[in-house]
Amino acid sequence: MTAFTAQPIAETQTSAEVACDHCGLPVPKALYNDTAEHQFCCHGCESVFSILTQRGLDNYYGMRRALERDRARVERDDRSYAILDDPAVLERCSIDAGDGCRTARLTLEGLHCPACVWLIERVNRIEPAILDARVHLGRSTVEITWDTASASLAKIAEALHAIGYPAAPARGSDKDAARRLDARRQLIRIGVAGAIAGNIMIVSVALYAGAFDGISHELLTLFRWVASVLGVLSLAWPGRVFFRGALAAIRTRTPNLDLPIALALAVGGLWGLANTVRGVGEIYFDSLAMLVFLLLIGRFIQSQQQRRAADAIDLLLTLTPSSATIELGSGATETIPADRVEPGVTVLVTAGETIPIDGEIIAGDTEIDAAVLTGESKPAPAGVGDAVYAGTVNLTAPLRICATSAGSETRAARLMRLVENAAATKSPIVRTADRIAGWFVVAVALLAVVTALLWLPAGIDTAIEHATALLIVSCPCALGLATPLVLSMTLGRLAGSSVLVKSAAELERLSSPGTILLDKTGTITTGRMTVAATTLDDHTARLVRTLEAASTHPIAKAIADSGEQANATIENVQQHTGLGMTGEIEGEQLAVGNAALLDQLGVHIAPGTAAWADAEAAKGRTPIYVAVNGANVGGLSLADELKPDAVESVQWLARSGWDVRLCSGDHASVVRGVADRVGIAEHSALGQMQPEDKLAEVRRLIADDVRRPIVMVGDGVNDSAAIAAADVGIAVQSGAEASLDAADVTIQSRGITGIRTLVEDSRGAIQRIKVCMGVSIAYNATAAGLAMAGLIHPLLAACLMPVSSITVVALAVSRRSARKGPTP
Amino acid sequence: MMLPLALLLGALFVFLFVRAVQTGQFDELDTPAIRAIFDDDTPAGE
Repeated sequence: MTAFTAQPIAETQTSAEVACDHCGLPVPKALYNDTAEHQFCCHGCESVFSILTQRGLDNYYGMRRALERDRARVERDDRSYAILDDPAVLERCSIDAGDGCRTARLTLEGLHCPACVWLIERVNRIEPAILDARVHLGRSTVEITWDTASASLAKIAEALHAIGYPAAPARGSDKDAARRLDARRQLIRIGVAGAIAGNIMIVSVALYAGAFDGISHELLTLFRWVASVLGVLSLAWPGRVFFRGALAAIRTRTPNLDLPIALALAVGGLWGLANTVRGVGEIYFDSLAMLVFLLLIGRFIQSQQQRRAADAIDLLLTLTPSSATIELGSGATETIPADRVEPGVTVLVTAGETIPIDGEIIAGDTEIDAAVLTGESKPAPAGVGDAVYAGTVNLTAPLRICATSAGSETRAARLMRLVENAAATKSPIVRTADRIAGWFVVAVALLAVVTALLWLPAGIDTAIEHATALLIVSCPCALGLATPLVLSMTLGRLAGSSVLVKSAAELERLSSPGTILLDKTGTITTGRMTVAATTLDDHTARLVRTLEAASTHPIAKAIADSGEQANATIENVQQHTGLGMTGEIEGEQLAVGNAALLDQLGVHIAPGTAAWADAEAAKGRTPIYVAVNGANVGGLSLADELKPDAVESVQWLARSGWDVRLCSGDHASVVRGVADRVGIAEHSALGQMQPEDKLAEVRRLIADDVRRPIVMVGDGVNDSAAIAAADVGIAVQSGAEASLDAADVTIQSRGITGIRTLVEDSRGAIQRIKVCMGVSIAYNATAAGLAMAGLIHPLLAACLMPVSSITVVALAVSRRSARKGPTP
Repeated sequence: MMLPLALLLGALFVFLFVRAVQTGQFDELDTPAIRAIFDDDTPAGE
């Protein structure tokens, strides 16, 4: 792994700054080509580079950089593991394995490949106290059993760290064990149900062949008994879950899909058994066993999908360090468990370390890698006043952070709960399916009675026969299987593209186009201001920048950073919230702010500046006025760049029938300018919207009953009320904590393409559910009709049953490949 | 008679399957596959 390290070599004639794009060594001056995009230290490197690029293998360089970054992180990271020996921590993260040994599950950073697995599983050669190490690559964890007499857990963690894998105790081990047991139980049920269904099928083939070609009476009886015993076994063992579910439904008087399934299984089973004993009539056990098998498979896939979505975020959580270094009043430091950090405490984070808590930077200027939270691999700069989140990595400089929340209150932990809750709540469409199931039971039961009565003249046997056939063939597979399957798969896939949906209900709401309200700043623009144009002379501009440097407000920062500052002291600095700043510099009275500030100070805006400001506003820029000694001398305009995907996403939404509107706290003309650039009609762009105005607008839209759903997309604390009030509230990216809780959907990735993905997937999912329901209802209606007419031969039922289930499940699952277009 | 034999075999395999599940052989279906191949898009660079 050390092959990539650039070795400084004292060769003559090297242009010290330029490194070879392949190997990283300095490029000799003779080979430096200032017209070429890439530079190489030798022809060998150049050919390797061109071969890799031509074959589309240039991802190699990306991977290499990522690996180097990880390694650099590890090298710079001198974290202490002493916290692991805290008896409480030890008790929580490890279990007694007998013989003076304990077993702990640790999450490792930088676990990538089979080579890592190989290395870690042989860590006992470095630390002999380790008896066993088993890696779980998918979850980046290792299960370590060690001899407590000869080493502490801290020492084990240090050994892992020494070979390049910083370790942290894995979270949720108890929950994980429960989930694992549950998955095992489900698998056993499927296996048993499958084996029984297969065996019954074999026996049934003999029975059906016998029905056509003749079969001896003894053999017939034998086969029927074998099929019955197996069938009862299937119903009583793996099929028991349906009866249990149905019983619970009856007890709580909330119909669910287990009810009709259990009814079909029970009636079919009982009548089949009766027929076996009597030796006449049909037995249905082949259909029933197959039904149990297929339904169990569907449920298994469903729970696996939900689990995967939760796992992705679980991983993120476990990567947050379990200890934090806090600064005590005396200047001394102490390492304590991260979840015991109180808000307001100062936490020290060295370069290369993962930030253990949510907080605000109070000292230090660094770059933050927030890939675990946002999926964005490019580190973002952060400085004093910026919020940082647990789980993100501090890359370049040491930081002092004032903690705002820790442990289960961090952003990462809350995201985790959000997804867990989504999996646990029932969406309306599932509830609808459950409600339909209630009616279904009544309808099918009534039809069965009608069938029985109709056929009563032909004899009681025939009557019961046909009624039972009806009950079995109309078991609601699509309702029971397809709906939750499609929904949970869609939720899982969206979580994979950093779109976290609180509950499946939102998918249903978003499936048809309605009205979408977009916030401007931070939603369709990057939220980072830059000075776009100015009418000021150099001297004044320098003074303005000096004044603005006194504030940490983003606008002030943007202006201050736009160029050189004067070497002068400023006095009487005053910040006028929402307006601007005033101050005294080089004996001159300076005022920088919006029109309202100048108005308040009694300064008239010069006509030339006013015209210029209007023109700038029309371009979507925010004009700022400057007054010196009570006279307006000009202005400057701030632009907030559009996110690169804003235009495309907005236009896609509009094309798909959404009524896209823009609202913002900025001046109306600025908002109109931005609206114009992304292609939103001018009358749909609302400016000067205070938070309460946005809320009022959402309420008005809901009351006016314009096209539903009303979707509010925003990112700031400002928007949280409107987000909560909307039918579907979407918080974009860096969403402040408040909006994270209020939002139904959280989009973690930069850009707003996530909205498109969300809308597209919702539409797809609901369409698929409708198709599945349609197919299933058509099938059930036909089958019920045939059964009532007495035309359902048991063989036909046995074929139709699995075929219909498989069709419907295949329809539900096939969307996997239907996703169009790349997701960034 | 082949039937009891067939059923016995079936029961044997069911038993083996249940044993396999209970000893945790199916707990981890992802890792062995990932062990075999280096996942292409894991650490994509900037």
